[in-house]
Amino acid sequence: MPDQPNADELDDYLQGDSDVSCQYRRESSPAPPHALDRSVLEAAGSLGPKAPTRSQSLAPLAFAASVLLSLALVLAIVFAPQVKRQDSQPQVVRVRMFKSEPPRAALASPRERNPALWLADINALRRAGRHAEAVVEMRRFHSAYPDYIIPINE
Amino acid sequence: MLLLAMDLQDADAGLMLRYRDGDAAAFAALYAHYKGPLYRYLLRHVRNACAAADLFQEVWSHVVATRARYEPRAKFATFLFHIAHNCAIDFFRHDSHRRRAIPGHDTDALLQEAEVPEHQRPDRVAEFVEQQSALLAAVTALPQEQREAFLLREETGLSVEEIARITDVPVETAKSRLRYAVRKLKNSLRPMQEPEELRLRTYA
Repeated sequence: MPDQPNADELDDYLQGDSDVSCQYRRESSPAPPHALDRSVLEAAGSLGPKAPTRSQSLAPLAFAASVLLSLALVLAIVFAPQVKRQDSQPQVVRVRMFKSEPPRAALASPRERNPALWLADINALRRAGRHAEAVVEMRRFHSAYPDYIIPINE
Repeated sequence: MLLLAMDLQDADAGLMLRYRDGDAAAFAALYAHYKGPLYRYLLRHVRNACAAADLFQEVWSHVVATRARYEPRAKFATFLFHIAHNCAIDFFRHDSHRRRAIPGHDTDALLQEAEVPEHQRPDRVAEFVEQQSALLAAVTALPQEQREAFLLREETGLSVEEIARITDVPVETAKSRLRYAVRKLKNSLRPMQEPEELRLRTYA
């Protein structure tokens, strides 16, 4: 019986280098589709919980926002000392600068008035209970001297 | 006892134990190692890509679902392919029942079909075989048990004893199935080899 297999044939095969094994290993090796991989790994918890679609779509926006915030923070740190220096200028010195200005009665417009005296007038209005007028004057003062830092006691 | 000691040394069984204890990365490593062999075993055994994909998922789902009860009583490959074998058996059985439920078949055809499940019918198999090489076509044409023994050996490298364990048969039966499979496959390679040999002889 030529087609009856013999034990030697099987032993040769089991050694692993038979023609049949070599040919089989040369064949293409199909793998499961990626969708199947993902499905199995998700079921096993190896991919972690699936994030909701909405969060996924917002992820680039969140990233961009955090980059902008970081940039703003860096800029604030870089420019903060300059602003502080301006703040720390002695206020008294500013007030004194205007001491030699002409008397306020002679001034034609708010810009030409002495700010220290103008503020004193505003305070006088407040003390007299004329708060509405004091507020109006203060607004005019701010529009005339937008960068003037008012002393604390004013 | 010796067998148990051997199994405990199986690195894959160790990974499965780690997965059982909550290490999800261990499962990913196991999956990466076995996904190819398991998929090819199922694909070439059931000879239908859709059915193979379903069974593939079913096998891994079973591994995941029963992980808490896992004990390394055998190599992990034996454990995994035993599940795959049982899933494939269920698949063939289901297929057979479904065919029997179809009315209007004469007795001869029914008997013939009872021996040859739906996915092994010549017309279905021919479609699958068209895309295969001569060797894979010969593997596809092997009887189910011989085909399974051969695929298990090639895809896992397991011993005849382990193949017998997976397929729930005596070692001699597994050996016999493998022996017949190898003989048939060798015969299928001869027509390819002979012209080559003849050509060499002609040039010599």
